Amino acid sequence: MFNTSDQSYRQCALSVMDTIADPDIRFDEKGICNYYYEYKKAEAALHKGDEGWAMLEKIADEIREEGKNKPYDCIMGLSGGVDSTYVAYLAKQLGLRPLAVHFDNGWNSELAVMNIENIITKLGFDLFTYVIDWNEFKDIQIAYLKASVVDIEAITDHAILATLYRLAGEKKIKYILSGTNVQTENTLPKSWIFNKHDHINIQSIHKAYGTLPLKTFPFSNAKVKRYYQQVMGVRSVSVINYVDYNKKKIKELIQRELGWRDYGGKHYESVWTRFYQGYILPTKFKIDKRKAHLSDLIFGGQITKEEALEELKMPIYDPAQFKIDFDFVLKKLGLTEEEFNAIMQAPPRSHYDFDYEKPIDVRYPALKPFKTIYRTFFPVK
Amino acid sequence: MSQVRIIPVLLLKNGGLYKTVRFKNARYVGDPINTVKIFNEKEADELVLLDFNASQEKRGPDFKKISEIAGEAFMPMGYGGGIRTLDDAKRVFDGGFEKVVLNSILFEDLSIIEQIGNIYGAQAVVASVDVKKSLFGKQKVYGQSGTRGSGLDPVEWVRQLEGAGAGEIFLNSIDRDGTWEGYDIDLVREVSKAVSLPVIACGGAGNIQDLKQAIHEGGASAVAAGSMFVYQKKGMGVLISFPAEKLKI
Amino acid sequence: MLAIINYGLGNLTSIQNMCRRIGVEAMITDDPVLIGKAERLILPGVGHFRKGMENLHASGLKPFLDKLVLEEKRPILGICLGAQLMTKHSEEGDVEGLGWVDANTIRFREEGLKGLKVPHMGWREIILQGSNPLWENLPAEPRFYFVHSYHFDFQRADEVAATAVYGAEFVCAFRKGNVYGTQFHPEKSHKFGMKVLENFSRIKAEP
Repeated sequence: MFNTSDQSYRQCALSVMDTIADPDIRFDEKGICNYYYEYKKAEAALHKGDEGWAMLEKIADEIREEGKNKPYDCIMGLSGGVDSTYVAYLAKQLGLRPLAVHFDNGWNSELAVMNIENIITKLGFDLFTYVIDWNEFKDIQIAYLKASVVDIEAITDHAILATLYRLAGEKKIKYILSGTNVQTENTLPKSWIFNKHDHINIQSIHKAYGTLPLKTFPFSNAKVKRYYQQVMGVRSVSVINYVDYNKKKIKELIQRELGWRDYGGKHYESVWTRFYQGYILPTKFKIDKRKAHLSDLIFGGQITKEEALEELKMPIYDPAQFKIDFDFVLKKLGLTEEEFNAIMQAPPRSHYDFDYEKPIDVRYPALKPFKTIYRTFFPVK
Repeated sequence: MSQVRIIPVLLLKNGGLYKTVRFKNARYVGDPINTVKIFNEKEADELVLLDFNASQEKRGPDFKKISEIAGEAFMPMGYGGGIRTLDDAKRVFDGGFEKVVLNSILFEDLSIIEQIGNIYGAQAVVASVDVKKSLFGKQKVYGQSGTRGSGLDPVEWVRQLEGAGAGEIFLNSIDRDGTWEGYDIDLVREVSKAVSLPVIACGGAGNIQDLKQAIHEGGASAVAAGSMFVYQKKGMGVLISFPAEKLKI
Repeated sequence: MLAIINYGLGNLTSIQNMCRRIGVEAMITDDPVLIGKAERLILPGVGHFRKGMENLHASGLKPFLDKLVLEEKRPILGICLGAQLMTKHSEEGDVEGLGWVDANTIRFREEGLKGLKVPHMGWREIILQGSNPLWENLPAEPRFYFVHSYHFDFQRADEVAATAVYGAEFVCAFRKGNVYGTQFHPEKSHKFGMKVLENFSRIKAEP
């Protein structure tokens, strides 16, 4: 437990990022942290307002043209959360014909499901659901818990990416509409996450602690992704980066237009995510993700630092909800309280303690000269 | 006005939920614990969980698993699949279920209905009747998940079941299962007329109109459905739903 | 601590599950010592009236509960058969009940049913009668799950806590001091049942 009088604790002058959130955080002479500058740099590269919309319409034209005689001209993930719901709304505004893809990892909340139903019905889109085999997914989640690595969500993130690319390739769809955005997601300390494209890390963590063979889990690797991108020409468009993304206004919009219901908390459309961000991250890894998200909102002028501090004062997890979720998580994962507490007590380990995806010449140094020759003929696009 | 029960039916296999078409081609739908949790939050009236291959594979119920599933439901739940003895039934009730759904065992021993009913009440015993058209086009009752013909006529059979003390009839049209084509209204009507017991219609429902039709034209006391509540639409992806509109007669 | 009395009949697991879900500590027990220590009691029940009374006698719980409930005024909630057992007599088996409330348990009358089938099974809206701690903050249009062929028959209106209509109007919940009873199953009635159990878990023991 940190002590604010402890000399080593510092908080950004502008935002709520601090040395606990990221021990490697840097401050300039004004006490402003590096995340502010990174945010501003990313923001400057964006086009907003009329200019952004014009660019988006131009991209939409290309998408429509490319997908002219096909059942769908683009593909998008739908989770029931704000970001993907807004992407769906924009897709409709832009006159696109997306295939909505929902990824079911067995942790959907009723709210998420209800939101997806309303969106699909009101916007008239088709829905494809990829239901992960629960036994396999559970096995990987437990392996990650036992491995004590931080980014347990990488499993789901990886599977979503793999599924979207695979579906895009199968259905010859060239465009993936993505909900990633600078305004609420730019700030993210590297120590909180791991490369979600890395299938080797998932497989090696599973190999160390898993018990079932993974027969159906969707894996992707860098080579496959490059194939889809370069050979099949699949590209990802971060739609939200072209428009003004004021979270409060957008929530009101989607509530009004699509009957969207709010959960409270980012990503709480998944019971697991609520538990992971509300309990596992803060308790085991000392990470409070709200700090990053709120700081982005401060950098973008959507809230003040005072408002952010007020929010941080509130408990990250409603105690009654936590008890219910705790029982539920243990029941779903088939873990006893003792087993789970032991996992929570174990010290965190790095993802790099396990095998991970390396470029081929790093993995096999003897191949380095061959890579140089190869790259002469086939440069990276 | 009475509120009519709308009952999602969930098919369990190897601990996972599946959905069939005409009792075949089972497709994976997801984790039962989370699915029941969602139905609970949607305030479904009642739920039926069936381990549909249990008798065929000569298995009994997985008592531990189904109790975990029942723990997520704060509405009445029925379980069927491999129940053969009074003790099996007791363990199912103790696990948190209100009703046991019996099928294959009834072709061997009707007395089990009364054995269970005497202790738990007749309304706790649901007799499940799977029907499909035989080669000659006549509706016949089948056991073992539709793989074994009994030669029995549905109306005669449900009368026997009523006589044996069943509390409810769960009537399933194998031909309509998973087709979204609507219930087999003639079948529902014939069976509902034949007994004074409540009849739950199942098999083929695709929308609310179908549910209403089973009640108003078919005379069913309650309506059950699978595909309609686990898929967003016919041919579309898995998405759990439950109608907000209440049905009344 | 709430004790769910185990006398061999009833939805014990479901009641305990709901208590756990709403954050109320509840134990299932047939041990008089533990029952005696509990602040509030639940008497569940599903099945035949005669079997219910037989079990209460055979287990030795009857005289013990009489003392706890009638003399020590321990709050107790009877559910379905459990509530019926609290009446004086039931037509089901022609058996004497505990007699804690001034009522009998009778079968639904044909004339009243007007063609409706028995058992009464399904969700039904209830009509609250007077104020009652169990109904505090109940969501609007309260409805509960019923499954029964017999119902309470009260002579005195002041013990009637709620009614419902199945063909004719019948009493579906009662209260006499520390003794509460519901014909319906709160443990199977979603948010409505959760509110009732939550309210019961807060009832103050009368001095």
